[in-house]
Amino acid sequence: MALRSISRRFGSRVLSYRSSSVASLHSHATSFGFQQVKEEEKSKLVGNVFSNVASSYDIMNDVMSGGLHRLWKERLVGKLSPFAGMKHLDVAGGTGDVAFRIFDAVNSVKRRALRKVDEDSLEETQIYVCDINPNMLNVGKQRAAERGLGDNKSLVWVEGDAEALSFDDNSMDGYTIAFGIRNVTHIEKALAEAYRVLKRGGRFLCLELSHVDIPVFKDVYDLYSFKVIPNLGELIAGDRESYQYLVESIRRFPPQEKFATMIADAGFEKVEYENLVGGVVAIHSAIKL
Amino acid sequence: YSISIDHYRLSRQAGINQRKKLFYFPRGNDLIHVSPKLNPLTPAMFRTAARRLLGAGFTTSRLLRLPKPRPTTIIPYSYCTSSTESPIGNQSVNPNQSDPTATSSSTAREEGHRRDENSRKPRAEFEEEQARVLAASLRHVPRLGWTEEAMIAGSRDVGVSPSIVGSFSRKEAALVEYFMDDCLQLLIDRVDSGLDLQNLIPSERVSKLVRIRLEMQIPYMSKWPQALSIQAHPVNVPTSFKQRAMLVDEIWDTVGDGASDLDWYVKRTVLGGVYSTTEIYMLTDNSPEYRDTWAFLDDRVKDAFDLKKSIQEAKYFAQDIGAGVGKSFQGLMNGVMQTMSTRGGRSSAF
Repeated sequence: MALRSISRRFGSRVLSYRSSSVASLHSHATSFGFQQVKEEEKSKLVGNVFSNVASSYDIMNDVMSGGLHRLWKERLVGKLSPFAGMKHLDVAGGTGDVAFRIFDAVNSVKRRALRKVDEDSLEETQIYVCDINPNMLNVGKQRAAERGLGDNKSLVWVEGDAEALSFDDNSMDGYTIAFGIRNVTHIEKALAEAYRVLKRGGRFLCLELSHVDIPVFKDVYDLYSFKVIPNLGELIAGDRESYQYLVESIRRFPPQEKFATMIADAGFEKVEYENLVGGVVAIHSAIKL
Repeated sequence: YSISIDHYRLSRQAGINQRKKLFYFPRGNDLIHVSPKLNPLTPAMFRTAARRLLGAGFTTSRLLRLPKPRPTTIIPYSYCTSSTESPIGNQSVNPNQSDPTATSSSTAREEGHRRDENSRKPRAEFEEEQARVLAASLRHVPRLGWTEEAMIAGSRDVGVSPSIVGSFSRKEAALVEYFMDDCLQLLIDRVDSGLDLQNLIPSERVSKLVRIRLEMQIPYMSKWPQALSIQAHPVNVPTSFKQRAMLVDEIWDTVGDGASDLDWYVKRTVLGGVYSTTEIYMLTDNSPEYRDTWAFLDDRVKDAFDLKKSIQEAKYFAQDIGAGVGKSFQGLMNGVMQTMSTRGGRSSAF
């Protein structure tokens, strides 16, 4: 109880500090963490956040989640069940974590051995990594080069907006968005775009930090989020504000059920979600039919 | 498992009451209470569930059962419809209701609440699509085995992106289970469309039905060991066990033997054993048209029927022995008590 009131007071302090932007609110406002900002500003602010964190993004992920984020991404790719000849789009996948995993899954030795049995997979696997922030993409390209995949034609790095994708209708077998949909200004638009680019039978998978409901664990998690993470951000990345934004945006994101409803409203079928670590992370999956 | 199969049969048989009795009182006698441990869990439970849920309307389209892992929560199907669509009566069946391994209680509550609003169409769509993919995949099984590759090929045939294969919860197992359901449905159809069983004695009827069912597996015989190993995975065992239990139940009901009490379990178990051993024998049988397998089957079925008699005889035999032993034991105890009392009497006088 005390923890919750502390975080509320903390949040309201942030609000009062930024009262100048609150004063200029009109009807189209959205949330940037616990602040209210104009919609046009949100993508700029988010852009700033990620330009700042790009270089230390991966290290911070490891530190904040204790390395668990790797397991979560493995689970996401496992659920996707990639196949050879797949056209996949990873949105907001700047540094390429999910894309690399999908690439490895498709090109693993086991798969290659079986591939000669299935003649139809003569099409080349294509994994598109789309991100709105060029800095994140650059980090991703660097990592690809380190792995020796710099010139590999299967990985394509595209700069683009999740709300206005530059891909054709019905062109993708899979669509993933890992820890990205929280930062989108209009979630419904991103979902509609996902629906548009997917082929019939294509799968939508979203990995996102979500809401915890378990009583004691919730308070522990809140404490960790609001006390530890911003300090870690300051210590390791030298950027407290961005990580403050991070934990606030998690709280602002719709809960699992609501988000699932939004996915269904976009036209998807068989909408499911799976909670990991008691709700800290949730994987939503759906099929387009 | 597909609830509609049971309801389909129920509606076509006059002896509905007979089946209902099996669940509560196998002998129809109020003095005999079936303890929870002895309750036949699968077939009757699904039948009563089917009658509860399906109510007036039912369809003959088979519903593919899609079991799900524990952590996942399925969103109630009303979420999958747009708000403008009106629900089509009471016809939707929510497999979550009858699935004993249903997930969190909040989901169950929501589903109970939303069951009335559920509309048939959107729910059936992805399930039907999945069923279509699985049906198309079966054609590729003899070449590619019971694997994801077969399912990917199947999905390409239907014109759907192979990504849909990822949405099956236990991929290859889903394919095998679909096949088992399909075969059971075919068996029921064969029986309903006038299979001549009247002139045969029960053991021959059983033989014929098992033979018909096993013959459906002949096209896949080269890959059937793989299917069996998939069914034997601990994750898949509950479903495969249920499917086999339903199969065995169907065969016995078709044969028409009125089962009662413990016999019901013994019969199913024995037939299950006969079926499994014949299935495995068939894997290594190279005789023309599987003649050896059918001979093996006939022998086993005869043994099973003889077994019933031998069990009866063994029971009587055991009773006799028990009586004899009991009498001699009684005599022994009396003797012991007597000596103890006399000795006790003597020693008390020290």
